[in-house]
Amino acid sequence: MQTGFTNQDFINFLIVMAVLGVVFGWAYATKRMQKDFTTTTWVLIPVAVAINIAIGQLVLVLKLPVYLDSIGTVLVGVICGPWAGALTGALSNTVAGIIFDPGWWPWIPVAAAIGLTAGLCANASFFKTWWKVVVTGFLIALVATIVGSPIAVLLGGISASGSSLITAFLLQTGRGILESVLTTNFIVEPIDKISTSLLAFAILDGLSTRFLARFPHGENALLDQQRKTSELVIAVVIVVILVIVTNVFVVPLLNQ
Amino acid sequence: MNDRLSFYRKKNSPIHTLNPFTKLTLTLALIVIGIVGGGYWTASLAVCLAIAPLTIFSKLFGDYLRVAFRLILPTAGFMFVMQSIFIPGGVTELFRIGPFSIEVETVQRSYLIASRIFLMVSAFAFLLLTTHPSELMTDLTRRGLPPQFSYVLISTLQIIPQMQAKAQTIISAQRSRGLDTESSFMKRIGLLVPLVGPLVFGSLVEVEERAIAIEARGFTSTRVKTFLHDIPDTHMDKIIRWALLALIIVALASKIWLS
Amino acid sequence: MAIVNLQNITYKYPLTETPALRNITLQVEEGEFVAVIGPNGAGKSTLCYTLAGFVPHFFKGELAGSVEVAGQESSQSTLHEWVLNVGLAFQNPFNQISGAKYTVFEEIAFGLENIGVPREEMKQRVTDAMKLTGISDLADRSPYSLSGGQQQRVALTSILVMQPKVLVLDEPTSQMDPIGTREVFGVIRTMTEKGMTVVLVEHKVEWIANFADRVIALYEGQILLDGKPGEVLTSDLLVEKGFGISRYTSVARKAMKLGLWKRESLPVTLEEAVEGFTR
Repeated sequence: MQTGFTNQDFINFLIVMAVLGVVFGWAYATKRMQKDFTTTTWVLIPVAVAINIAIGQLVLVLKLPVYLDSIGTVLVGVICGPWAGALTGALSNTVAGIIFDPGWWPWIPVAAAIGLTAGLCANASFFKTWWKVVVTGFLIALVATIVGSPIAVLLGGISASGSSLITAFLLQTGRGILESVLTTNFIVEPIDKISTSLLAFAILDGLSTRFLARFPHGENALLDQQRKTSELVIAVVIVVILVIVTNVFVVPLLNQ
Repeated sequence: MNDRLSFYRKKNSPIHTLNPFTKLTLTLALIVIGIVGGGYWTASLAVCLAIAPLTIFSKLFGDYLRVAFRLILPTAGFMFVMQSIFIPGGVTELFRIGPFSIEVETVQRSYLIASRIFLMVSAFAFLLLTTHPSELMTDLTRRGLPPQFSYVLISTLQIIPQMQAKAQTIISAQRSRGLDTESSFMKRIGLLVPLVGPLVFGSLVEVEERAIAIEARGFTSTRVKTFLHDIPDTHMDKIIRWALLALIIVALASKIWLS
Repeated sequence: MAIVNLQNITYKYPLTETPALRNITLQVEEGEFVAVIGPNGAGKSTLCYTLAGFVPHFFKGELAGSVEVAGQESSQSTLHEWVLNVGLAFQNPFNQISGAKYTVFEEIAFGLENIGVPREEMKQRVTDAMKLTGISDLADRSPYSLSGGQQQRVALTSILVMQPKVLVLDEPTSQMDPIGTREVFGVIRTMTEKGMTVVLVEHKVEWIANFADRVIALYEGQILLDGKPGEVLTSDLLVEKGFGISRYTSVARKAMKLGLWKRESLPVTLEEAVEGFTR
């Protein structure tokens, strides 16, 4: 029988889904999830989904080489916690699947993982200065790649997005499908997710403390004192190091 | 934009009167059977022999075709072509286009993936065409889904058209002031801020009042909820659901033992 | 017996220095129609939120003193139980649409579904409430397709239908024309005759003079005046502190200085002014 993908690909997918499942199950069972869902959280989520979709469309109009369709997800993750962030991501893709193109549905776990990561980083006080936000953006990209690549492989590695051209090129050079997909994502994702995080940070910076206090984790977005130029330099250096480290160590490790 | 947000078409058909949960089960059953149920043609057969007749039965075949041609076929077709061309690994060469060789195996593989995606989306299109989202959510809430999920999904579907309208207004306002979406890259990045700012801050400040408004109407009440609309759940519905469940089990079992 | 009993309320929002309400002590009788006036920042909305339980349950912050409605203490209750005592509708109608419903009828039933009212009773109550506020013909429309004034009526009906003991309204007619405003004041009058207690924040002083039983003037978080509409609305203190007052009162006050207004009390409404000037 033809399955279109190897058993190993399917097992990779199952492992990633199982890890996500365990994380959410644990949070639910220990009531960590429930206390973040206040009424303001429930009201913010639809607004954040609408922000995701509206900005995603604006970016298309402006023909920028990024997606920026997770700003709302990151926003909710930071001020309402990881679980609300995950729900926002999942809901965004569900709704985008209904109104634009069902091709969004397979990526629901990725969108959820983005919100989750943003929330976990913010809870660890990693959304308070420019360079920390950059690191958070990078971690989000990393998680999105780890969750997304097995799904991309199951779908054949090539979708309707522009980045598939890179994957196609890598495939033609004789690389394996997982390696090609991973490499593509490592090129595209960090740029997109770091920009997304920085924009979310800029938005939170513009909101009043009084407004932020309405949300369960509003304090996550209160800034540390900082010197802006040196922070930016640190941020850039960290990005470069992170990119080198992952390309030298993580990619070969995953491909073994 | 507005009408695209709800696929639902009101018709007087036996499918429309089915319980929404039954239709959801049917949708999931079709997907599971089409994908795990063995053969090469299963997914395509499920579309032709189950979904197409069902949409005819619901007097929505025309609407289904329109959805299929506008949404699903382009995506699935594009993937089929791209994958046939780019994924290497076949043995039997069919023909060549420039540097790319097209092999029988990759075409088969791409067909399988594309037809499964087509099935998945067709099944959901059938569900959304025949079931009003609020009806589905009400029924799921009645069955134990936390009511907040119903709130969050329905209000998302209602907010998006307004947000898109706002985005459109902002874009046209900026266009009249000389916004040029064809200008240089750096300029276009610079444009993002004046476009995104008003949109985001405007909708965020509303959140507090909207939360107060629904709290004032007992949103967090711990009492047992009641429902304005009665959504019928007949014996027929229950029989259909059990039958579908049995079918899913048979499909999964045959997949495990026969392969 | 007083149904609303505020004792020495002082309240500070989180992260603020100056209190929004200071030493407010206030009793409201059952079935009374109390209007609250005041310049911007006087604490009118905060007073509404306090009565409706959102201070302190939703806004947090420091609340001193006691808020009692129908013998219950707000700080001892939860917000979702408190809304059965005190209903709140406020100014911006657009933000009061729940978003969870597709028609006006369903929208008004939303609160009743949440508090578990049986279906038949729910339908009856929604139908009655819509008839009362004159929006029966909007039942099948989408709440988002309505005008601002119509949305305000829907918001008011959505709270009325829950039959709270005390109804708190924060500028519920801001987007209505005079005809709509007259109808809403008529509805409030009807409700108070049925025993509901109403606290209304409103700028339209002429309407207050015609309908309210009592007026409270708030200034910088404190009660400045409390009394009959005719007395409070014509007080010289209001002019001094920059309250919005009736143009008929201003005219008559000037006329009084010129000796053209012979009566002792000043008018608030057109009718009173006409009567005073002609006789």
